Amino acid sequence: MKVLRDFTLLFKREFIHALRMPTWLIVGISTPLLYLALYTPLLQKLAGGPGFPTKNVLDVFLPGMLAYLAFTSGSSEGYGTIFTLKDGQIERLRVTPANRVALLLSPILSDIVWMYIFIAILVAVAIPFGFHAHVTGLLISLILLALLVIVTGAFSVTIALLTKEISTFASIVMGISLPVLLLSGVLLPLSMAPTWMRVIAHFNPLFYVVDANRVLAAGTIWNSTVGLAFVVTAGLVIVTLMWATRVYKKAVA
Amino acid sequence: MSIISAKMLTKVYAGKIRAVDNLDLEIEPGQIFGFLGPNGAGKTTTLRMLATLLPIDSGEATVAGVDVRRQPAKVRRHIGYVGQFGGADGLATGREDLMLQGRLNGMGSSDVKKRSEELINVLDLKDFADRKTSTYSGGQRRRLEVALGIMHRPEILFLDEPTTGLDPQNRANLWVQIRKLRDTGTTIFLTTHYLEEADALSDRVAIMDHGKIAAQGTSRELKQQIAGDSVLFSFKNDGKTLAKAMKLFKQQPYVREVTQEGEQVRLYVKDSASALPDLLRLLDKENIPVKTMALSEPTLDDVFLRKTGRSLRDTAANSKGNGAS
Repeated sequence: MKVLRDFTLLFKREFIHALRMPTWLIVGISTPLLYLALYTPLLQKLAGGPGFPTKNVLDVFLPGMLAYLAFTSGSSEGYGTIFTLKDGQIERLRVTPANRVALLLSPILSDIVWMYIFIAILVAVAIPFGFHAHVTGLLISLILLALLVIVTGAFSVTIALLTKEISTFASIVMGISLPVLLLSGVLLPLSMAPTWMRVIAHFNPLFYVVDANRVLAAGTIWNSTVGLAFVVTAGLVIVTLMWATRVYKKAVA
Repeated sequence: MSIISAKMLTKVYAGKIRAVDNLDLEIEPGQIFGFLGPNGAGKTTTLRMLATLLPIDSGEATVAGVDVRRQPAKVRRHIGYVGQFGGADGLATGREDLMLQGRLNGMGSSDVKKRSEELINVLDLKDFADRKTSTYSGGQRRRLEVALGIMHRPEILFLDEPTTGLDPQNRANLWVQIRKLRDTGTTIFLTTHYLEEADALSDRVAIMDHGKIAAQGTSRELKQQIAGDSVLFSFKNDGKTLAKAMKLFKQQPYVREVTQEGEQVRLYVKDSASALPDLLRLLDKENIPVKTMALSEPTLDDVFLRKTGRSLRDTAANSKGNGAS
């Protein structure tokens, strides 16, 4: 199978790239770890109160953190796109008969695998501190998070291909990320928020993923929240991939 | 049979800039075809359309007998491409990058090993093939990038400004490799804005300007067409004689360009056979003593000037930093 071979070859290349950029790996894992170490203590007094039904705030905070991790690992993908665009790598690969979808998706796939490795570390660190891991729920949430990486990754790559330039790209991605993260309940559940904020949050796809992730982490495997998150995210996968493919075909001019 | 052929090939940017304008092109197999022109002439745009990297707006092109618009994927099996920014992977070693390139082109893993070893020897990459390419010098990197372009033994190799940024020694070295490749039967299509490169390296040259081919042929044919139209005078250098002569030359309608080089004056004239006797008569009449006079060997720049009305050297200097070709 040519497609499979192309995916394997390109995925391997991307995965090894990450290993050769240890700074990237260290920052990638230390950011969520720092949140766990330096942010969860601030929540401790809220345990058992509104938004934090269990005694351990990690049960609510960690699932949100995992969504945060997925969101950022996808949305930072465009930085690599701009570098490979500038040094001619994208062009070079496009002239080969390599499968187009494999060319576009292999960096995102590598991001997903690295995210899984980071999640394993985070969960392993959190369990001794009282995090209740529900295996089935966690596994389903891994699928949802992979879809989220595809959405933010494809979006980020497309913005990179359109701007072709690092500073414009960075401003756009950071400008979008902040409101999306704040309005998703990643740091504090939005059940604590005023009504107007909760209304706006319903237009934010990340909000659904964070919500569903908390439901899954609490051990509920399927309900309307989880279903809705899958529908929203899968829909966005289709839209962003179509957009990305269109731009990718034309962009490298 | 042409191995690359284009008819009325056109690319329009932003709805109005005709980067490539109804271009016709026929390239025979087994030769080095050089595309010469200033930045922005449309050389790179042409090459990128033929290499399936840019959509063709109108017109037709076939590469290795395959229609570029209808079957770009099939074209890619026949071509190698080395862009201006080569595309070596900074985080991989040269050898790893070669192997990936071979595999993506459908070569088997034992063939890939054998071929990359072969290219490492031929292009002299041995000393650094197992280092990350981000540590390479400009010349080393360029050699690897050429190796990447020919890893899968393509029939046709596209080279976009292959020696830009290389020092003279590395440039000469790369020319040797490109000729060797031609001698093994590969057709090479290259763009360059270096006159010397087009002249020394190409079997055939097309001069491109404003999206059109202004002239094409062997470099010798092109130069012969205008032989004798470049005339070199020298005068006594007392400041006055030279100035008087320059003024006189500039007044004549058949003189296209006058340049001063020390005590010499170079003229490009329309038809030297009739212009020369007239010039000598005028100089005599004005009492301007001529020290020497010679018809000079034309260069491709003279050809460019003759065909486009501008000098390639001026054009290149004026449009520096404008890489949007």
